[in-house]
Amino acid sequence: MKKFKLECEVNGKKVKVEIDSSLRLLDFIRDVLGLKGTKEGCGEGECGACMVLMDGRAVNSCLVMAVQAHQKRIVTIEGIHKHKYGAQLQESFVKEAAVQCGFCTPGFIIAAQEILSKNPKATLDEIKEGLAGNLCRCTGYENIFRAIDKARRKK
Amino acid sequence: MPEYIEKYYTLKDLWKSVKKLPSDRKYLAGGTDLVISLSCGNDKSSVWLDISDIDRLKEIKEDGKNIFIGAAVKISELESNPLIKKWASALSECVKYYASPSIRNTATLGGNYANASPCADGVLALAALRAKVMLNLYDKRRVVDILSIVKGPKKIDLKKDELIEGFIVSKEERKSIFMKMMHRKRFGIAKAGLCMCYKLEKGKLRDVSISLSSVAPSVVRAKKTEEYLEGKNPSKAQTKACQLIREEISPLTDIRSTSDYRMRIVSVFLSRALCSI
Repeated sequence: MKKFKLECEVNGKKVKVEIDSSLRLLDFIRDVLGLKGTKEGCGEGECGACMVLMDGRAVNSCLVMAVQAHQKRIVTIEGIHKHKYGAQLQESFVKEAAVQCGFCTPGFIIAAQEILSKNPKATLDEIKEGLAGNLCRCTGYENIFRAIDKARRKK
Repeated sequence: MPEYIEKYYTLKDLWKSVKKLPSDRKYLAGGTDLVISLSCGNDKSSVWLDISDIDRLKEIKEDGKNIFIGAAVKISELESNPLIKKWASALSECVKYYASPSIRNTATLGGNYANASPCADGVLALAALRAKVMLNLYDKRRVVDILSIVKGPKKIDLKKDELIEGFIVSKEERKSIFMKMMHRKRFGIAKAGLCMCYKLEKGKLRDVSISLSSVAPSVVRAKKTEEYLEGKNPSKAQTKACQLIREEISPLTDIRSTSDYRMRIVSVFLSRALCSI
């Protein structure tokens, strides 16, 4: 397996590492960097549990090769609190009981971060549209919608 | 699974090295389809060529007559780009129906085309826009009609190493309507889709083009219906046009829908489109 010298920024820190070029971004984040907050759900872009920000845009890290993150800025759930809305969203998810098993939560928070950073006045319908790629199987969506809406109002 | 991935930033570098690579090579753009094939163990190629950061393929630009949309332009960029909104609004309109926001941030228009799916939303819009595709092989270009090399599901008539460089849409002041039926409100694959571009002059339709998805082995144009609608008043022509468009297609029954339902959807979509003009 030929190696690739990957250089990128993860949660504000420069990373320079030689990797197998066949790694997905998700595998790189979890297995090489040891950042286990990003989850693997379906592995085919349906559930959104693996979402991270790449150059400020939410992407499914199970559908992106690590090589494609070369010279890009990556933000995972571990670094989201440094961003506008990030810490507020985390707090709001806890307060509104928008977390049950928690497996989908990192993806929802990353998606919500993108929704609010693109549109700070997002309506409830726009929030729902923005979450079209995130599945939750236990908490239920209403608490999640409310948590994002409250985080938006507080900022 | 590929043994390795080569990353390129310029077409010049790509053409310089591509012939030296193992012959079972594939281009990687957004990766939303290709990376899944890796997880499933379906991909047998030994090298992927990452073209997602080649500047030329990320361009959206205009000249006097046309706009050029690079093959590696992300679907999400189509929504708000001013050139696309002005000259290729069908593409902007297709975005909200296209997969999920995070997939739109990754998937590319070129990938949507290369995948040659009969339900491809981007191709549906490109076909109604009468776009052309610019192909590049070792720096030699050819430009062909958008549907002319699409031969069926996953079948596209490209030469070895031929690269989809981008799409050309001529600057025409046409309006567009994009409709898609799926099994849920968002993030679904089309049971059927319709895209129509047209001009309205003194109450008459001019320069009509209609494309349909998920009703044939590839996205198709409804040419007989287009011809019929030329010069007609949209509401008066509605009944006959809706009948004609059903006669033009013979969709399959499959896991997503039945042949009969697809015919009905297409007819209802055209009726709604003509009523809305």
